[in-house]
Amino acid sequence: MKKGGLEVDKSTIVCRCEEITVADIENAVAQGAQTFDDVKRLTRSGMGLCQGKTCRTVISELIAQIRGESVAAIPVPHMRMPLRAIPIGILADHFSGGSAMQSLLAESKPDEGQES
Amino acid sequence: MRRDYETIIVGGGVIGSGIAYHLSEVQTEGILVIDKEFPLNGTSGSTQGWVWVQSKTPSWYGELSMFSAELYEYLPRKIGDIEYTRTGGIDPFFTAEERDRALRLAESQSQAGIEMHVLDRDETLALEPALSPKIFGSIHSNLDGTVNPMRLVEQYMRAAKKNGVIYEYANPVINIEKKQGEFIVTAKAGTFSCKKLVLSAGVWTCELGKLLGINIPVYPVRGQIIITEPLAPLLKHTLSSMRQTCNGEILIGYTKETAGFDRRTTLDVIEETANFGAKIVPALAEAKMVRTFAGLRVMPQDEFPIIGGVPGIENLFIAALHSGFTLSPLVGTILTELITEGETSIPIDRCNIARFA
Ligand SMILES: Cc1cc2nc3c(=O)[nH]c(=O)nc-3n(C[C@H](O)[C@H](O)[C@H](O)COP(=O)(O)OP(=O)(O)OC[C@H]3O[C@@H](n4cnc5c(N)ncnc54)[C@H](O)[C@@H]3O)c2cc1C
Repeated sequence: MKKGGLEVDKSTIVCRCEEITVADIENAVAQGAQTFDDVKRLTRSGMGLCQGKTCRTVISELIAQIRGESVAAIPVPHMRMPLRAIPIGILADHFSGGSAMQSLLAESKPDEGQES
Repeated sequence: MRRDYETIIVGGGVIGSGIAYHLSEVQTEGILVIDKEFPLNGTSGSTQGWVWVQSKTPSWYGELSMFSAELYEYLPRKIGDIEYTRTGGIDPFFTAEERDRALRLAESQSQAGIEMHVLDRDETLALEPALSPKIFGSIHSNLDGTVNPMRLVEQYMRAAKKNGVIYEYANPVINIEKKQGEFIVTAKAGTFSCKKLVLSAGVWTCELGKLLGINIPVYPVRGQIIITEPLAPLLKHTLSSMRQTCNGEILIGYTKETAGFDRRTTLDVIEETANFGAKIVPALAEAKMVRTFAGLRVMPQDEFPIIGGVPGIENLFIAALHSGFTLSPLVGTILTELITEGETSIPIDRCNIARFA
């Protein structure tokens, strides 16, 4: 595999956080993955501490190359908050009441449980 | 390329791929799975991945979940490692009233053969020391566990392909007609025909039903999750709303919101989730979160699975349900029986779509 004028072999690491190699990316594309997000879900590349900041471009280029497309044709990945790791306590302290979190126990209907 | 199939499965998430794999064990030819994107782009790629039994009520629904959990014990031997671990599940509660409710639940579930126990604070903390000492008690069951959702879908796909299943990616189905006992499935790139058709397109199954003039009442319910950086082993069990994966990350969240097809995360719900996480496991306040994500639950109108044939349309099958990871091996097994033999080894009448008529 030729990349930016350099020969890279299959064992070259492209995602440092999760230690994902060129071969892993090739394998994911062979499975049918077409985008960075597809590859991410199959290999964990981009799910590590840097959240794809290091590997995003390299992997998108690799996908384009393997699929014989231009990099521009590979959709950009989703970015999710937070953009850098923060302690959970920071958000927990700012919580001011709400109702989206559900209790599993509250959902169960023990009284109806005996219905045949 | 072959265009006529025995069976076409529309939607290759955990449900569609699970059906494809199980069917391919029996029917070795003529199975096509067609997906509008890549199978982990739907709900199956944004989920917690619990195999959760304890709080599933009424008892017939709990029983289905338990049967499925049992099948998980064998699944890795057939399709390879899916990081399934029967961790046991703990649902902590904070008040005496909740304990009463828990006792009633444990009693009725036990009558259905679903074993679970209500523990006091000390018993709970002995099992799961990371929990807050402020809890009142908990429900514990040995039946609960977790699976790696991405791995499971990938292994289903690999095993299905090995058994001859064909996959079409990035090819949305846009029209379906039934003519002379055959389904004509028109997708963006190509038209296919089949004798038997399975609709397993998650929250989009509703749209596909419309093409055949049937009402499949499933709607999207958003859920948001926080993921931490990899942490040293902290949680031994799957906790209600939280689990630690085998590479150390903790997934936190069990939220339900009506937001249509909007898959964004929102700061308010993430703050609430963070608050909840730190409340039941205090050490989490110090843990760093690296990411959040949101997914769309596949929610049938009455929240129970829609599985089985469709009255009036022969050879059409639907599998649209929430808790698809918990139930996938069972759904795959049942649909295979239904498709190949016309009957199932356990009754699934309650899951029939006819109940909405
Ligand atoms: C935040 C969250 C947490 C959850 N936690 C759990 C849990 O812990 N345990 C559990 O058991 N369940 C859990 N669930 C539910 C579980 O994830 C779902 O039940 C399951 O993923 C549904 O799988 P599916 O295959 O039906 O749907 P999807 O994975 O959405 O698959 C449907 C597929 O159909 C394709 N499709 C759609 N329309 C078309 C078309 N027109 N043509 C071709 N293809 C099409 C899509 O591209 C998609 O790949 C959770 C859900 C959420 C959102």
